[in-house]
Amino acid sequence: MPRVTLVVISYEMARELPRTLLSLSPSYQGLSAGDYEIIVVDNASRVPPRAEDFATLNADLKVLRCTRPTHSPVNAINEGLAHAKAGLVGVWIDGARMASPGLVRAALAAAALHPRPVVATLNYQLGPELQRISSAQGYDRALEDGLLESIGWPMDGYRLFEIATPEMRGGPQAAMLESNGLFLPRALWDELGGYDAAFDEPGGGVVNPDTLIRAVALPGTQLVRILGEGTFHQVHGGLSTSTQDRALAMLKQASKVYLRLRGKPLVPVRQRGWTYDSRSGEVAR
Amino acid sequence: MNDPGNIDPALLKDWMVKYICGVLGLDRASFSTADRFDVYGLDSVEAVIMAGVMEEEFQVVVDPHQFFDTPSVDEFVAAFTAPPG
Repeated sequence: MPRVTLVVISYEMARELPRTLLSLSPSYQGLSAGDYEIIVVDNASRVPPRAEDFATLNADLKVLRCTRPTHSPVNAINEGLAHAKAGLVGVWIDGARMASPGLVRAALAAAALHPRPVVATLNYQLGPELQRISSAQGYDRALEDGLLESIGWPMDGYRLFEIATPEMRGGPQAAMLESNGLFLPRALWDELGGYDAAFDEPGGGVVNPDTLIRAVALPGTQLVRILGEGTFHQVHGGLSTSTQDRALAMLKQASKVYLRLRGKPLVPVRQRGWTYDSRSGEVAR
Repeated sequence: MNDPGNIDPALLKDWMVKYICGVLGLDRASFSTADRFDVYGLDSVEAVIMAGVMEEEFQVVVDPHQFFDTPSVDEFVAAFTAPPG
């Protein structure tokens, strides 16, 4: 039985998904294939990924096609959650996000700190600026490929930090809007009811922030932020990272939907919670 | 949609103070409407969210860039409710 399941959502990510899955592979993460399973749920790509394309990763990896695809990833996520076998499940709402090499081990260690843990990893974006800004300055897939080559990726995955920009400008303990790699015990995902299908906008709007907010609001849960690891967004024309104007318009509209659905404004998670430093093993409570 | 020029500036200012204090957990009594948003920790993401909520509340169109161009409650309210021209 795997100890952790990773649910990775893909949509038109032929360039990005292979790198993401390589970064989640056992050899990159320093784990054995039996420790975890990877479930890719494709949300109706024109040319869906196939499990056999990733056979060389030697991972316990399956590729599912979402049976009820929409322009929101919610159905795909919830189908992935339904197939997850492990006691700890991490959701990758965006399959274009590569991981640092100790992320899965850190999630397991952080989750072991509390009976009802909400383990959040920090989001980074490849490139010299947030991609909604750098894209307007010429940052594109070719430049990104060059950046990855410049650090010799995947030889030392921690060098991703050298070519990336943190999404949380206030530091790792600042208000957190969302976490791409969000890990909860299976039972907490059930308690939460997975991702909320009411967020049916393209990209799911702010369903990922909503999920984090609802998770930390569950009784008795403990937020644990992982330091020293991260997920790294590859540029791919996603809704929230494509251009500044598009990103602002998307967030503004999504915040209105959130207000209507939840009856309150969207407020990033301000509680600092605990931190688990994957490099030192230090826990700050 | 309403014309921003028809909004009572005092009402908008009061709403913004209440919203920002609520979101950031600040004391209204010590909140200065002259301070820049970033002084009390309202970042650009939260400013964009505030634009959306403001649109719902006042039925106006709010360009989030306006918060960056006029980055305090006083400056924003004055510019937003000013008559065109």
